[in-house]
Amino acid sequence: LLGVPGTSVEKNITLDRRTRIELSCRLDNKYSHLKSLQVTWKRGNETVRHINKTETSWSIQLRILDNSKLGSYSCTLKGEEEISAIFNLQVPKIEGKEKPIVSYEGDTAVMICKSFGYTPIAWAWYMTNGSEQIAINDTLLANKYVINRISANVTHMKILKLTKEDNGVYWCEAAFELGKSKGKLKLKVLSLMVPLKPFLAIVAEVVILVTIIFLYEMYSKKKEKSA
Amino acid sequence: PPPATTGQAPGPPDGGWGWAVVFGAFISIGFAYAFPKGLAIFFKEIQDFFGTSYSEIAWVSSIMLATTYGAGPISSILVNRYGSRPVVIFGGLLCGIGMVSAAFCTSILQLYICVGFITGFGLALNLQPSVIIIGKYFLKRRPIANGLAMAGSPVMLCTLAPLNQFLFDNFGWRGSFLILGAILLNCCVAGALFRPIGPSTVSVKTQMTEEGKSALKEEVTEDAMEMSSSTNVPMESKTEEEGGKDCCEKINQYLDFSLFKHRGFLIYLIGNVLMFLGFFAPIVFLAPYAKHIGIDEYSAAFLLSILAIVDMIARPTTGIIANSKWVRPRIQYFFSFSIAFNGTCHLLCPLASGYTGLVVYSVFFGLAFGMVCAMLFETLMDLVGAARFTSAVGLVTIAECCTILLGPPIGGTLIDTFGDYKYMFIKCGAVMVLAGTFLFIMNYYNYRMLAKEKERNVKWDPKEDPVRTENDGKNNRNRETARDGPELEPLREEREGLKKEVNGT
Repeated sequence: LLGVPGTSVEKNITLDRRTRIELSCRLDNKYSHLKSLQVTWKRGNETVRHINKTETSWSIQLRILDNSKLGSYSCTLKGEEEISAIFNLQVPKIEGKEKPIVSYEGDTAVMICKSFGYTPIAWAWYMTNGSEQIAINDTLLANKYVINRISANVTHMKILKLTKEDNGVYWCEAAFELGKSKGKLKLKVLSLMVPLKPFLAIVAEVVILVTIIFLYEMYSKKKEKSA
Repeated sequence: PPPATTGQAPGPPDGGWGWAVVFGAFISIGFAYAFPKGLAIFFKEIQDFFGTSYSEIAWVSSIMLATTYGAGPISSILVNRYGSRPVVIFGGLLCGIGMVSAAFCTSILQLYICVGFITGFGLALNLQPSVIIIGKYFLKRRPIANGLAMAGSPVMLCTLAPLNQFLFDNFGWRGSFLILGAILLNCCVAGALFRPIGPSTVSVKTQMTEEGKSALKEEVTEDAMEMSSSTNVPMESKTEEEGGKDCCEKINQYLDFSLFKHRGFLIYLIGNVLMFLGFFAPIVFLAPYAKHIGIDEYSAAFLLSILAIVDMIARPTTGIIANSKWVRPRIQYFFSFSIAFNGTCHLLCPLASGYTGLVVYSVFFGLAFGMVCAMLFETLMDLVGAARFTSAVGLVTIAECCTILLGPPIGGTLIDTFGDYKYMFIKCGAVMVLAGTFLFIMNYYNYRMLAKEKERNVKWDPKEDPVRTENDGKNNRNRETARDGPELEPLREEREGLKKEVNGT
């Protein structure tokens, strides 16, 4: 990571399985004149020892074996000025949908979560009830929820016979070797009356316009005949 | 008293209620062209819902487009029989019913039927009659009317795209289809505006039919059956008012297959069928191409918006230019030029680098696209004349149906095989330049033949000169009637035969 004095640089690194990784901070050539630099690598408050040093770079090697090793690692170069760079080691992010999925009472809703590039070990779905997250067990409620793993990276949940209570936030969770990652989806269940109102309004408008046009035509024909 | 104070008798009114008809056609044509494209917004969600692949969803669009173009002849027959107004109103109702039933579909097959066939057929019943009725209301200002009406397509597309997105966010796809069904019912409003034109009052009518017949005599046709079907057009309203005669026999005459012997029609048909191979593919692949060379999604979508806006302005402008006295007599050349111009744009597209290059390409493409579309039906009307346009447009659309459907998949195959978009652009550009050149050369030949026939016509039948020179507004029509008259010599006998027929009634 190349840094400029007085600023902070950040980089995100995505890891989905156990691995060894080397993080290094390198000072750009034009700043090599800065003397007496003290470099520290930290994770939170913990300092990491075993820094491999060369003339212009300082690096650490990490063995990431479980979730506890993930997080933000920072290297700080203290000289006359302080330069720091942060590496964020994290599990792959799962994207849900920002916009709510709209469906209707009695209909089926289909929710899909995808993982891009990384294959999760397992998927799980949760429903939010108040502030709690309740796991959705599709074997228990087989006529309400159907969960399918369409492909390695895609999970599919169908909610059947929707009711108003099914409104709310749902979470799809992907489990990786190094931790879990969640995606958020919103479901909105509407009654059939909701689209019916604009529908009837537009139909009324059409009928009114057609009537006006035909009346005008009859009026102008009468005018023509009498003229 | 002189006939037709309403302006209906000697020629089309060229104004007045005609502008209301143009507005109705604007709406109708707009829905017919823009609606299938606007549906694409729902496809992702429907695909997820039914768990199908993308190509299965794309069939919905293809079926709709195929039905809209393929049902052209049926539309023509119905218009010939009932006139534009009932057909458009029925078409609007069909569209509405189709979309409303689509809202309750439970399988992709039902979607194919409701959205694809029923709505597609309804749109076909909207498209053809709208174009036809412009030919009945306008003559001198017809290119402007055509340009304005065809501008409905980009305007509707620009309106439908954000509207569909809004409906989708608020109502999901089922609710959106329901509301779109209601919106499509507005085609019935457009249809209500299509006041039937032609002899309407009894006193004017007899004089009208006399003049109509003599005017039609000048409109030279291939054979006697052809001729009698054209004279049936003014007579038809008489029969309708009298209570209808043998309708069934006449239905056979309502789709004019003898047009295939018409030189101008054949030229138009071949040129256009060729052109449509390369017409729509660039639009379909513009946004993917932009994303392919690294432009982000929103800027890529913006390119299409630029195209639509330029298209919107180009169409009425082209109509005005085409109406000017320098261009109108040579409108076929103008049409061929715009097709070739369109082709050149595509050929130059691979040279465009970066976003600015693509923006420039979009502007020119929008311009060329608008020019071609504005004159698409105008040139056909110009070649075959208003009376036979009804059948002509039906036959042309069913022939174009195949190439329109083939164009984008061929382009897609080229892209997949070579992994590069430029071959698709080259193919489209080459096809269109070829079509443009073909039309240019053939129309040059056609104009010369028509000029020769006109000379012979003038020498041969001096009796009709007073009728010709009577009305200034008829000059264009005369040029036009001379235009749709190939092979004059062998028809002399048929004309004689007709004269006797006319004199006899």
